[in-house]
Amino acid sequence: MRGQRLLVSGMGGELGSLVASLLEDEPWVGSLCGIDVDPPRRRLRRAEFHRIEPSDRERIVDVVTAFDPHVLIHLAVWEPDARAGTAHARQFIADATTAFLGAAGECPSLESIVVRSGIEIYGRSRHSLTRPDESVHPEPTSPYGEMVERIERVAQSVASRIGVAVGAVRLAPVLGPHVPSPLGRLLRQPVVPFSILADPPFTVVRDDDAARAFVAAARRRLAEPVNVVAPGAVTGLQAILRGGRLPMPLVGPEWAITRRMSHLVGAPIPEHVLEVLHRGRLADGDRAIELLGVTPAASTPEVIDRLFAWESVVRVTKAPRAVA
Amino acid sequence: MADLIQLPRRAAASTINAVTAPLRPLLPPNSVDEWGRDDHLVRIIQPFARLRWDVSVGGLQHLPARKGALLITNERRLSFSPLYVAWALSNATDRPVRFVGRPDHAPFGAALRRVGALLDDPTEVHGALRHGELVVMGTAATSHPRYAGAVDHELVGAAVTTGVAVIPVASMSTAFSRTARAEVGVPIRMRTKRRGPLAEIEIAEAAQRHLQRMLDELGGVQTGVAPIDWLTEG
Repeated sequence: MRGQRLLVSGMGGELGSLVASLLEDEPWVGSLCGIDVDPPRRRLRRAEFHRIEPSDRERIVDVVTAFDPHVLIHLAVWEPDARAGTAHARQFIADATTAFLGAAGECPSLESIVVRSGIEIYGRSRHSLTRPDESVHPEPTSPYGEMVERIERVAQSVASRIGVAVGAVRLAPVLGPHVPSPLGRLLRQPVVPFSILADPPFTVVRDDDAARAFVAAARRRLAEPVNVVAPGAVTGLQAILRGGRLPMPLVGPEWAITRRMSHLVGAPIPEHVLEVLHRGRLADGDRAIELLGVTPAASTPEVIDRLFAWESVVRVTKAPRAVA
Repeated sequence: MADLIQLPRRAAASTINAVTAPLRPLLPPNSVDEWGRDDHLVRIIQPFARLRWDVSVGGLQHLPARKGALLITNERRLSFSPLYVAWALSNATDRPVRFVGRPDHAPFGAALRRVGALLDDPTEVHGALRHGELVVMGTAATSHPRYAGAVDHELVGAAVTTGVAVIPVASMSTAFSRTARAEVGVPIRMRTKRRGPLAEIEIAEAAQRHLQRMLDELGGVQTGVAPIDWLTEG
């Protein structure tokens, strides 16, 4: 098991950097390679990093095939309105999925693929289950849900053609310091809208819990989907009150105006976040302990409290002028 | 060099606190469980519910202490017996008891979810039972308070595949009085163990028979006003 070669796509993102820094401490990891359009957000000691655009497929294929990984951790996933708008996110995800998973198919040593997915994959249509588990057939109802469903489908197709295991880590909305999250950004606004008629419960997951899940999935050669969600739940109104924000109750038609205004003030509300506020988002994460051997340490209320505990702006005061 | 304009954050925060302060006792920031049931809200509503149903509970020794179980109760039309049985058992056992049958649209579905309702879906019930929850389901509604309607065998199938007990709970209430009764029966055990789908069909039929027997033993509605009792006998 020692001396394994791991490739992390999307290593530059907050989650990718966190996963890479955890993998560097794993004794079974021999060499670590990462590719992303942005440089890593953390100081990495052992990892080799390549800064490549997701659309530059030839370079990605060259780097991946030359590295010939045993495990590919595919984190090159752009949540809409986190770092890119929905249309750009869709394009980046399509490019990255084709390039990385296509390149993985050319690697003779590859044993396992672990992809980032989300519980948005289950969708929240009428009569959809309150807490879907991994056996529930994906029926996404938001653009992000469709994106992660496509990633899983492509990964499954590649894996079945070349005969390797593929695991999908279906994350609840990831919140943490510096993690670009449209839900987190919205909740941190001074005035936060919520659906007064529904106010459904949702769950989230802390960034380091998500990162530990990926490391465990790579170590255990996860070969099926697994939900990674923090225990407990919170409703929109409860989250707003926890943060000491002003709740703005909405009924229906005014959501369109609110979304536009929220976009203008820098906190766009994409479809999948709107779905959270209207229909909730829970999932059954009980199989994580069985499949990964780890379970999220922070509960949903704790993650929400941590969201509000970050400093908004770190003020750098002017240095006093030197007196001659 | 431009200076940062500082927004009056303290003033804004104190205004928000003043506005939300009256809401805080009613809406504690952490009272929803993983199925969306709001224990705090249930505790607020229960005194009002007691104005409608004063439920006496019997047979609690038949309920499992920690494991899940599917509880089947008879339902007269518009009696809402799964709701009051679930709340009464929840009070008596001090553990959340959920009930099946919420619509999936706001505001009713959302409100019922907050008081413990689940979707009328075998997969949803299966998930709850697997997590050790007590789940109450109603039989098909009847017009007579002492008749037990048919039991949905697909929901019973969720209990069979989870391996939890199926327990009949006879309920009795009337539109003319607050008095209501919920009597928990013994778990249903079949003499013949089935491996296939016949198991849930036979358990569903047995549950209906058990319920009918329990209702016969309860002896009808007793409001204390004989003419009303005669009327409710149908």
